[in-house]
Amino acid sequence: MHHQSILPDEDLASVILSDLKRVVREYATAATESTCPEIRKLFTDLTNSTLNMQGQLFTTMQSQQMYNTSSPALRQEIDKQGKQYDQTLQKTNQFVQQKLSGIAQQSVYYTSRPNVAHIPQQQAQQPPVFYS
Amino acid sequence: MVQPITAKELEYIADSMSNEDLLLKQNAVLASSSSNQALVQVAQQFIATHQQHYQTLLQALHQHSNAAPTQPQQ
Repeated sequence: MHHQSILPDEDLASVILSDLKRVVREYATAATESTCPEIRKLFTDLTNSTLNMQGQLFTTMQSQQMYNTSSPALRQEIDKQGKQYDQTLQKTNQFVQQKLSGIAQQSVYYTSRPNVAHIPQQQAQQPPVFYS
Repeated sequence: MVQPITAKELEYIADSMSNEDLLLKQNAVLASSSSNQALVQVAQQFIATHQQHYQTLLQALHQHSNAAPTQPQQ
């Protein structure tokens, strides 16, 4: 025999789900602000464990038709974002290469044997373009 | 050798035990009041996990208690 709760099942489960979300964030924050290595590990482990619980509760609620996920993203919207961030990535790669070649030139200037071993690799490997 | 914990870490540990305690009670209510078997099972499992989290946090406090200074540090 079940006791009557103040809240309907669905609402109580939602409260727990949002509390788990909050606690995951708090554990992650605590981990980033820890000084003691053991305490950092403790909070990191608790972050992962709580994240798993949140995922499990979400999956259960979804299987019980207690959760409406938002509507699927449209393909043109995905492609728009993809194109935009392809451009961003290319510009950033140019920026990084400029900065890195700056370092190489500097080391040519200041030392007799510059260490540029990592530079050619950067140039040789062009990033893949997904949306062009 | 156990390193002393900071005042901030102590606050986080205390707040965390408070969170775990609240979640434990919420899950106890869900486990006892729900007629949905899937939810009851998850809630029962979560009670055990939150108890375990709570114990781990409490242990961390005890472990670091001996390394802590008894006078305020400069």
